[in-house]
Amino acid sequence: MVLQAIEKMRAALAWRPEELASARASGRKVIGWTGYNVPEELIYACGMIPVRISRGGSSRLAEMGANYISTQNCFFLRQCVGPFAEDVDPYIKQIDALVTDTTCLQSHRMSSLVEHYFQVNLLQLGMPKDPQRPEARRYFAHEVRFLVARLEKIAGRELDTARLAETLELYQNIREAVRELYRRVWTTSTLSWRTVNEMVHAGYLLDRVVYLGLLQELLQESKEDPGEKLPSQSVRVLLAGSPMAPGDNKLIEIVEKSGAVIAGDLLWSGFAQFTDLDFKECSLQGLIDSYLDRLPHAALPFMEVVTDRKLIKLLDVVRQSGARGVIYYSLRFCDPFSFKMLVTKDYLKLAGVPLMEAQTDFGEMDIETLRTRVEAFLEMLAIRS
Amino acid sequence: MNSNEARGEGNQRGTQLLYAGIDIGSLGSKAVVISQNGIKGCAVLPTGVFPEKSGQEALETALANANAGRERVRYLVATGYGRITAQHANKTITEITCHARGAHHLHPATRTIVDIGGQDCKVIRLDNEGNVADFAMNDKCAAGTGRFLEVISNVFKVPLEELGDLAKGDAPLVPINNTCTVFAETEIISLIARGERSESILKGVFSAIASRVAGIASRIGVSGDVFFSGGVAKNYGVVSALEAVLECPVYVPGFDPQLVGALGAAMLARELGVRV
Repeated sequence: MVLQAIEKMRAALAWRPEELASARASGRKVIGWTGYNVPEELIYACGMIPVRISRGGSSRLAEMGANYISTQNCFFLRQCVGPFAEDVDPYIKQIDALVTDTTCLQSHRMSSLVEHYFQVNLLQLGMPKDPQRPEARRYFAHEVRFLVARLEKIAGRELDTARLAETLELYQNIREAVRELYRRVWTTSTLSWRTVNEMVHAGYLLDRVVYLGLLQELLQESKEDPGEKLPSQSVRVLLAGSPMAPGDNKLIEIVEKSGAVIAGDLLWSGFAQFTDLDFKECSLQGLIDSYLDRLPHAALPFMEVVTDRKLIKLLDVVRQSGARGVIYYSLRFCDPFSFKMLVTKDYLKLAGVPLMEAQTDFGEMDIETLRTRVEAFLEMLAIRS
Repeated sequence: MNSNEARGEGNQRGTQLLYAGIDIGSLGSKAVVISQNGIKGCAVLPTGVFPEKSGQEALETALANANAGRERVRYLVATGYGRITAQHANKTITEITCHARGAHHLHPATRTIVDIGGQDCKVIRLDNEGNVADFAMNDKCAAGTGRFLEVISNVFKVPLEELGDLAKGDAPLVPINNTCTVFAETEIISLIARGERSESILKGVFSAIASRVAGIASRIGVSGDVFFSGGVAKNYGVVSALEAVLECPVYVPGFDPQLVGALGAAMLARELGVRV
């Protein structure tokens, strides 16, 4: 039985490109964005419509993107370029500008290429590699203010502090609702990770107020009338590693068809964007500080182990979700998420949590070998439990 | 494990329940049939183009060796890459788990398994109970697999099973620099043309395979007794090279090392069949 909130979400998504066209016809701007540290809130606060352009899972679009970006770049970023080349995606066709950041150097390269080859109005936000240094914080604050100035120019209006405060509160409410949904996945058998993942991905595109409403409906509905009854005896696993953008379902399907339950994730495309980002104050400086202090992206070098917040958070999510093991997604050529994969494995091993690396791409040639690895890992976890 | 048991001799006729494991690999389909008392029959056949058919034929051959019919098989577990084609199996289990069970049965002190098959190579670490603790695989490239040795045996124009014997002397090893099977073949042909001894070249080939395995093993660590399974374990030269690079003895079972996965599958079938 499909939850009503999910049905409404799907209907809203089906309608969304037309809705955007209508908004543009009335003078509003649509701003595409991708990048872990892009403050989407600023786009919304300037009265424009943010649309997160991340997609995955299409070797066809990745191949198309590879005509412009090196094949040594990850499949996710190649697929980011592909839709610009194809020029049929209803969201890509409607963006008035693209905001990206320089957290990941490959992503930086991708956005520069998109600007060069497809004449996209690019707003790049510089991100320091060591956000805790005072000089880095000053740099980021300057970059954010510069971004605001450029957004204001596109919007044709100045950023209003009251509007900003309202926006930050709205986004904070969205984060809290999503976190509650994840907690529901972790602690009950009445809501599946897949459902929450679909809702999270819908949030890339939907109107923010509508989205918050849908999240709250889903929370209420799953509380009153579960609708989903998940098998309690299945092995529970957590997904971590490279982002799994909407459409990148290969590994998810292999895991689920192997009989396991995905208990949660710590992916930038999923839970990681909602955790550890609470606004200290509803102001521009509060936003700046919060982004600097959030869970660091894997591309920001950090050699320590015991004090690595990403590792600490991962173990925390494993424990809260009741996962027996972690399947670590290593998307081919996604270097940042491979840097510390072995360190992550050893860290979790000390805590008694096995980790399996699933190295793959968007193609289908390795489905059976990947399935063998996943099934062997699940057999191992089943015996241990 | 005695040789009678290994050959499936001394079978009991009658209605004793049997449990079977079939391992459908990329090159060979293997089957082992056991009862509560031990191994009753086994078989190895080429997989060919139709894995489901070859899996069934391997099972029928093993049953014929056991002097038994299909109706006596209470539970069948299929493993190997072709396991999904085994519609007649009660359950499919990955070859990682099956090799662990088979190796632990044959040599309980096993803590690391090296399995080199026709087209893949895996290293499996076991805990003290013989359960899988970790594993690493290479199945994207033929380097260091049975397929590599098939290519080499064609170059030297000797049967695959005689390759190891050609490297038994004390000639010095000639290193093979290419890791790719295709380029290594070209390199070997050049070495032969240059007048290098077959023995030296083959030692280089076996050393290259062992180095490849060691690279995979380093991802999960080697500890305790090392058990070598898969068809390549029958090659004395690879065994020696592996011992040299891992710096420890490598145990090759007296039971056909190609059948370890199927044996493990049969043992798991017995455990599951008893519960049913």
